[in-house]
Amino acid sequence: MSRTHSDDSSNVTARVVLVGSPNVGKSVLFNRLTGRYVVVSNYPGTTVEVARGQARIGETVCEVIDTPGMYSLSPITEEERVARALLLREQPDVVIHVVDAKNLNRMLSLTLQLLEAGLPVVLLLNMMDEADRLHLYIDHRALAKRLGIPVIPASLISGRGVEELKNIVSEYLSARQNRDLSSAD
Amino acid sequence: MSANISPLDRIATYPPPIEEAVRAIEDLLSDGYTLSRRAIALLLLQHDEEIEGTVRRREGEERFALIAEHIHRAQAHYREPLGMVILAHRQRQAQAIAQEVVRHPLKTGSGIAEWVGRVCMQPLTGIPILLLVLYYGLYQFVGVFGGGTLVDWLENGLFGTYINPFVTLWVKRLIPFTPVQELFVGEYGIFTLGVTYAVALILPIVGTFFLMFSILEDSGYFPRLAMLIDRLFKKIGLNGRAVIPMVLGFGCDTMATMVTRILETPRERLIATFLLALAIPCSAQLGVIMALLASHPGALLIWALTLISVFLLIGWLTAKVLPGTPATFHIEIPPMRLPILSNVLTKTYARMHWYFREVFPLFILASVVIWLGQITGLFDLALHALTPVVRLMGLPDATASAFLFGFFRRDYGAAGLYHLQENGVLNGQQLLVTAVTLTLFLPCIAQFLMMKKERGLKTALTISAIIFPFAIAVGTVMSLILRLSGVEL
Repeated sequence: MSRTHSDDSSNVTARVVLVGSPNVGKSVLFNRLTGRYVVVSNYPGTTVEVARGQARIGETVCEVIDTPGMYSLSPITEEERVARALLLREQPDVVIHVVDAKNLNRMLSLTLQLLEAGLPVVLLLNMMDEADRLHLYIDHRALAKRLGIPVIPASLISGRGVEELKNIVSEYLSARQNRDLSSAD
Repeated sequence: MSANISPLDRIATYPPPIEEAVRAIEDLLSDGYTLSRRAIALLLLQHDEEIEGTVRRREGEERFALIAEHIHRAQAHYREPLGMVILAHRQRQAQAIAQEVVRHPLKTGSGIAEWVGRVCMQPLTGIPILLLVLYYGLYQFVGVFGGGTLVDWLENGLFGTYINPFVTLWVKRLIPFTPVQELFVGEYGIFTLGVTYAVALILPIVGTFFLMFSILEDSGYFPRLAMLIDRLFKKIGLNGRAVIPMVLGFGCDTMATMVTRILETPRERLIATFLLALAIPCSAQLGVIMALLASHPGALLIWALTLISVFLLIGWLTAKVLPGTPATFHIEIPPMRLPILSNVLTKTYARMHWYFREVFPLFILASVVIWLGQITGLFDLALHALTPVVRLMGLPDATASAFLFGFFRRDYGAAGLYHLQENGVLNGQQLLVTAVTLTLFLPCIAQFLMMKKERGLKTALTISAIIFPFAIAVGTVMSLILRLSGVEL
């Protein structure tokens, strides 16, 4: 499926890439953002192909790219290789790292690695509903402060957090645009 | 929200020998990598081959030698590979951050969902649960309800009594030429065979299957099944991760062949591809065979046992033949969840839609091809060629057409078989032999194309060249054993 950004990509001005380990909800987010449907399941490994779609986030028309699951930037499996190659090739304007809030201690390693790589990361803590049910309390503000990036609690299956995410991404993109403009002066 | 934190505070740091090497390598790298120079340096320290290649190309051999020197010097400080050291340090810092921001409850929750999840994974309770799932989910719901009640209602009721006679009447009235009439409403006609098979036979069966599959998938049962079968799989050279494509294979082998990408080694991918092509029946096939054999429970049992044996035997043999070590296994075990109805329905619909769009044109094409074959006599020629093979397996000549269909798609062949059974041409023994042979065949042309895409033409051809004679051989041996033992099924 080598569908590159063709057709009406002329007005696409930003590229948003979704990353994260398998089965954390990247495809749900993709569907929520783009209104397209890719199969979502409670089963790791469902996305092996790269899905692309468009979303309007704030004023910006974004190309949204869903990637196969990856545990780290050092690929072991074919799908991880695909995901990393995508990150390297696509020069994303925003990387949304989707994590399972319940297993934060296993997930943050990739966040650190993405930051290390200098990528513009937004962290989405998905499955907050399940974390709540387990009585896990997650201080997302402290986490945002510690990492220096936006951290958004969400429960994608019911749509919670999607609007906030869009706002943050939109802010991010316009801030960057302003920065680019001022540095061009 | 972006606070003024200096970049270095927010990212992982490593012990001095590594940090020194990182700084030195950073200085040797030019600008313009997508990733930061720090990340590139760290990946180089971890011996990432892809990145090594890129850097070598961009910086030249001379500079790369200098970089390699730094890597070597850093490595001298550690006994384990640098990759491990870096990974461990990053992991520790990630965990420390997580500990800062997550407050755990005093006691870990032990809800019903967690208990159910655990029980599914333990062999003592997991295997009976698996059997229950298979009996009620697959046999009762898909086989008896989907393949029996629904098909009966659609095929005999709706199509048999109302639609087909009506269409036949009008086609005959409007088109006076018999050969053209045959194309639409003949024995293998576009309407009487293609459309009827697709809508009245395959649709209800595949629909009920996908519904059940989606419910199980969303509940989180499959990863637990993977854990349960992991031990068994290790014996045949696959790790539990390979259960993922195998389980998906019961939905569609073609998709599953694509999913073998998640396996780590080429060896595993090859074994999995082969087993998918040979011994994993896809949804359509599974459904039709359930429906076919539902009235012969003994035959159904032998069919299942035969396939499991073939799967294990061939898996074990392939693992012996192909050199290599089994890879390690880790799978995320998501929590058990109550599936959300709308998600299940959307997914079932998306899959049915996709399946239907793929098979419907093919069924119609098959009708046209068969019609052309009949007019030119090629169809009869092919049937004649197949007749000795069919006889070898102790089957009536009429089954030759089911096998011929089977070359198109296994489910199409199985559907043809369904017809034969309805007409009482086959006894229990013969049904069983045909069902086993057809299941072992390559599922469909689409899967062959996918194998070619993922594994290369040579491998795809080799796999096919092994599968067809093997399927027929198994059918022949089975038929012999059945006849000699005189078992009534």
